Amino acid sequence: MAGATSALFILDIKGRCLISRNYRGDVTSVQAERFFTKLLEKEGDVESQGPVRYDDGVTYMFIQHNNVYLMTASRQNCNAASLILFLYNVVDVFRCYFEELEEESIRDNFVVVYELLDEMMDFGYPQYTDANILSEFIKTDAYRMEVTQRPPMALTNAVSWRSEGIYYSSNEVFLDVVESVNILVNSNGQIIRSDVMGAIKMRTYLSGMPECKLGLNDRVLLEAQGGTTKGKAIDMDDIKFHQCVRLARFDSDRTISFIPPDGSFDLMTYRISTQVKPLIWVEAQVVRHARSRVEIMVKARSQFKERSSANHVEIELPVPCDASNPNVRTSMGRAKYAPEKDALLWKIRTFPGNKEYMLAAELRLPSVTSEEAVSDRKAPIRVKFEIPYFTVSGIQVRFLKIIEKSGYQTLPWVRYLTVAGEYELRLI
Amino acid sequence: MAPPDQSHRSPSPSQPSGTARAESNGTGNSNSNPKSNPNFDSKGEVSDLKMQLRQLAGSRAQGTDDSKRELFKKVISYMTIGIDVSSVFSEMVMCSATSDIVLKKMCYLYVGNYARYNPDLSLLTINFLQRDCKDEDPMIRGLALRSLCTLRVANLVEYLVGPLGSGLKDGNSYVRMVAAVGVLKLYHISSSTCMDADFPVTLKHLMLNDPDAQVVANCLCALQEIWSLEATTSDEASREREVLLSKPVIYYLLNRIKEFSEWAQCIVLELVSKYVPTDSNEIFDIMNLLEDRLQHANGAVVLATVKVFLQLTLSMTDTHQQGPGKLFIVQGQHQGPLQDPQHYLHPVQVYERIKAPLLTQVSSGSPEQSYAVLSHLHLLVMRAPILFSTDYKHFYCQYNEPFYVKKLKLEMLTAVANESNTYEIVTELCEYAANVDIPMARESIRAVGKIALQQYDVNAIVDRLLQFLEMEKDYVTAETLVLVKDLLRKYPQWSHDCIAVVGNISSKNVQEPKAKAALIWMLGEYAQDMQDAPYVLESLAENWDDEHSAEVRLHLLTAVLKCFLRRPPETQKALGAALAAGLSDFHQDVHDRALFYYRLLQYKVSVAERVANPPKQAVSVFADTQSSEIKDRIFDEFNSLAVVYQKPSYMFTDKEHRGPFAFSEELGNLSIGAESAENIVSAQRVEANDQDLLLSTSEKEESRGPSNNGSAYSAPSYDSSAPLVASHAQSELVSLDQTLPQAPQASSAFDDLLGLGFAVTPAPAASPPPLRLNAKAVLDPNTFQQKWRQLPVSTSQEGSITPQGVAALTTPQALLRHMQGHFIHCIASGGQAPNFKFFFFAQKAEESSTFLVECIINSSSCKAQIKIKADDQGSSHAFVALFQSALSSFGMS
Repeated sequence: MAGATSALFILDIKGRCLISRNYRGDVTSVQAERFFTKLLEKEGDVESQGPVRYDDGVTYMFIQHNNVYLMTASRQNCNAASLILFLYNVVDVFRCYFEELEEESIRDNFVVVYELLDEMMDFGYPQYTDANILSEFIKTDAYRMEVTQRPPMALTNAVSWRSEGIYYSSNEVFLDVVESVNILVNSNGQIIRSDVMGAIKMRTYLSGMPECKLGLNDRVLLEAQGGTTKGKAIDMDDIKFHQCVRLARFDSDRTISFIPPDGSFDLMTYRISTQVKPLIWVEAQVVRHARSRVEIMVKARSQFKERSSANHVEIELPVPCDASNPNVRTSMGRAKYAPEKDALLWKIRTFPGNKEYMLAAELRLPSVTSEEAVSDRKAPIRVKFEIPYFTVSGIQVRFLKIIEKSGYQTLPWVRYLTVAGEYELRLI
Repeated sequence: MAPPDQSHRSPSPSQPSGTARAESNGTGNSNSNPKSNPNFDSKGEVSDLKMQLRQLAGSRAQGTDDSKRELFKKVISYMTIGIDVSSVFSEMVMCSATSDIVLKKMCYLYVGNYARYNPDLSLLTINFLQRDCKDEDPMIRGLALRSLCTLRVANLVEYLVGPLGSGLKDGNSYVRMVAAVGVLKLYHISSSTCMDADFPVTLKHLMLNDPDAQVVANCLCALQEIWSLEATTSDEASREREVLLSKPVIYYLLNRIKEFSEWAQCIVLELVSKYVPTDSNEIFDIMNLLEDRLQHANGAVVLATVKVFLQLTLSMTDTHQQGPGKLFIVQGQHQGPLQDPQHYLHPVQVYERIKAPLLTQVSSGSPEQSYAVLSHLHLLVMRAPILFSTDYKHFYCQYNEPFYVKKLKLEMLTAVANESNTYEIVTELCEYAANVDIPMARESIRAVGKIALQQYDVNAIVDRLLQFLEMEKDYVTAETLVLVKDLLRKYPQWSHDCIAVVGNISSKNVQEPKAKAALIWMLGEYAQDMQDAPYVLESLAENWDDEHSAEVRLHLLTAVLKCFLRRPPETQKALGAALAAGLSDFHQDVHDRALFYYRLLQYKVSVAERVANPPKQAVSVFADTQSSEIKDRIFDEFNSLAVVYQKPSYMFTDKEHRGPFAFSEELGNLSIGAESAENIVSAQRVEANDQDLLLSTSEKEESRGPSNNGSAYSAPSYDSSAPLVASHAQSELVSLDQTLPQAPQASSAFDDLLGLGFAVTPAPAASPPPLRLNAKAVLDPNTFQQKWRQLPVSTSQEGSITPQGVAALTTPQALLRHMQGHFIHCIASGGQAPNFKFFFFAQKAEESSTFLVECIINSSSCKAQIKIKADDQGSSHAFVALFQSALSSFGMS
């Protein structure tokens, strides 16, 4: 990090300072508050100018979470990307401690917030932002009932992410392979962008220091080895591992071996940018009878095998902002008018593969329109869904071996899930 | 990491829904600030607290700690919401004589907040904090030490030295970690106390030996800051600063990199990026070692690693004698991690390797994170556009992204556009222009225009632009007009197509000043092609008073005059109206211009013709708002705010807040050189006036437009006149060279050229030096800066310069040429009589070992101060002698 942070502020939605930690004493909270309230007054400025702002020799960086803003102030040329990430880590830590980070939980926990701020950053340099580690020495009442005192960690701890002496009566591991599909289709129906962000999420409830080894299916391995598998190889653009994974071993023989942290974490994330067929395709025809009504005909088609089905499908169909009195018919599911989004929300609880459903809607348009032409914010159709037991990439967990010196048996539970990420079709 | 083993660990007092809430609820609305609540009797509350605390202070009864906690918590929350509770200071201190760590923590918080404002009270505190620094619980020792150091009371520093000293030696890593930062805090309160206690030496020892990685990291932070602040005054400090960048330290840290926390890794990597490896094997070793950092889950680590890779690549290109930033790009897909170091031989491979992790960060993280990453990508793309040209789809905008991300993505799309992808990109941009919100539409149209100006596929783009005009949305029309004007200035051949469409636009539909000015400019410029130009102008001139923008009125004056010169009979009336209105205009510039035109026409119409309608060349390149020097500087500051702001850090930080290893200012200013100082000013001015000079119709650009082909940037035209220095970068930097006539490399000819009349001295031959220098040494400014930062001063001495020399030093150039004759080359110079400052460099003839010289000449005292840094310390004495003799022979016959 090139420079140190002067201070960290947590501000409420109006920009008033709730709590702050002044690490270097060269930016006062009055100054910061003045800057930030001024910023919030100019509506739209936050949106257009970005989260890194300069005012009177001080650089402010902020993020919003629920109804609070977290903001750093610095007089030095510090590292923007890393500070923003740091703020997000601070949010994660607070959420770990207070369940949810919001004005109320800050007000209720001033003392712990101070303690955490002091341990997460010292004199403007980030220290520890790992809630697991912090909870070792900053406790809330939630921990008060804890009977077993964990022995202290070794001084030169080789495994900083896991304490020794963890014990569970039943040892369990849950593996979730979650892929989120991002799709962008332009108004001509062409897929202009598609990629998949995947993650192997783990929740471990294991005693002792378990040594784990994860085996994935051949497609992933062969590809990673640089082999030229014809056909359906998974072409991963960028693989990232949790710090517990021994990267050297992965580089040499492609095994993913690690001692997991306790609790939940992302073991591995990856990105695939090969073109995928949109899993749910939505087409809409809009007929606009100016000043009277607008008719919308929508066809939604699932483009995956029959044996899978998508759950909680929600299709957001934008409608003109001055439309009213919707009259909707659907062949499946229910549609609801959501005026706050200027959209119809069409919800289908289960959408089996290779099916097609229809929606027809008619909305009234005002007969008188204001002189200043309402600008057409032509929003895209957006789709949300979840398809369990299915991955776009075809990645599969072959095995997860867990070896611990006490020799307990454990069975890993594996789930697969594909969800819609940024799924936009500009077809309306 | 090791949270200290706590002998009596006790839980902290917070609770998700405890008394704190009840209290604030007690006053009514939980969200309302008690301070602002008129019903809140803070005085009464506080004195009540004081009473209760006093009662508890002496009590040893069971459960006292619990009631103390409740009270303390109340005090802390009052303090946080801004109620002054300083009056209970002494009671708090009294109550804090406890072994309860939570009570301690709260007390420290309280004390830290108020001690600064009540120095008298803080004496009270010091005592108990010092005592706690010796507590048996390491947690308490650490916390007490931290609080002690954060008191920031200058007259109490003497009490800090003892606890800090023992803290650094403490058996528990938590305490050492706190102590390391504590030293830095002490330094900021009183640097002399810190230096006198020799803490930096202890820190250095800890840094190189401590088993705990966080202690090491904190020592590193503290040392970096201390040495770079000290370095301005002490040579020893600057030497120590160089030591941090020496091979043993760097390798030691690199070997432990995996032990560090993610943030500490960032700090180490930042340091490594400043390290200059000696050969390519070292580069490969470091890259291979750090390869897996690119797979780290923390984006900050990834970016820091990317910086290391980039800097190493730069030094690699340097060794290959390529200019920085001139990476030869070969299209090639690379997959998977690199096993073979030889892969890295080509910088392109490095770029390919860092690309995937960066692109992931654009689409995965939060919008704020993608904003920061995109800023960095933009910088990379400007260097090697082709590298990302196949990944342009990553920069397509999502509907819900905040505007600041979209805007950067548009810039990326503009930057990566080339022959192969322009069609797709422009199609996508047109969709934004037609679809989304207004600011976005405007930006998209501008982006289309910028791509058009980059010369790719102009044909299709002009069609698109004309389609925009037909969309008949005011803001689209306005933006497009500005663009069409710029396009016409660059591609006059399109005038026919454009004018046909522009002619159909009613000036009444165009309200924005910039767009209106653009339209008026076109009316004037293409008056003969547009049937009704004179009449449109006439109606505009008649409605002079309705026009609020001076810019538009200025353009109108010029356009009317141009039109008049081409179609006099039709425009006469308009001209009369415009001049009359202009002469009575309240705006000074408008008035002056009207008067000027009036007198010009009075004097001679043909002269007016030459002034208003000179033959114009097409603008080949629009002025770039930033000099390449500034861009390089920003690149050096990769992974910092400089990239986000697109300015080097010295433009937005105060001197005392420059980070460790911040670019030394004097060198900075000098290396930019006389001419480039102006560049900065212009860059700033541009920044202030107008973000997009490219699109502006402002007058100054107008007048500068045709002529700016040559002056600002086209380096090739200098080539012939700047033979002394090999690289382009230098020819821009060393502005002095421009004025030089053709100077041959041979030394004997130089003195003739000086024209000062002294006899030819074959200088190198006169004193046959044991050291032979390379006549054609080349060093680019970046490398110079890097080396200057990193090498220790090997010799620093006073030299003298003859009075004749001083006499000859009417301009610094004379000395430069003279030194050049001795194969000592100047990289930057500056100053005014009597003080001149020069930076020279020279290279050994046989090897690439370099000497760097800073030479300050005072022409009134005939003294020269010389500081020499050398790659090869052994030969530096020989070089000093050579330099001295060269200097003293200056001006001698």
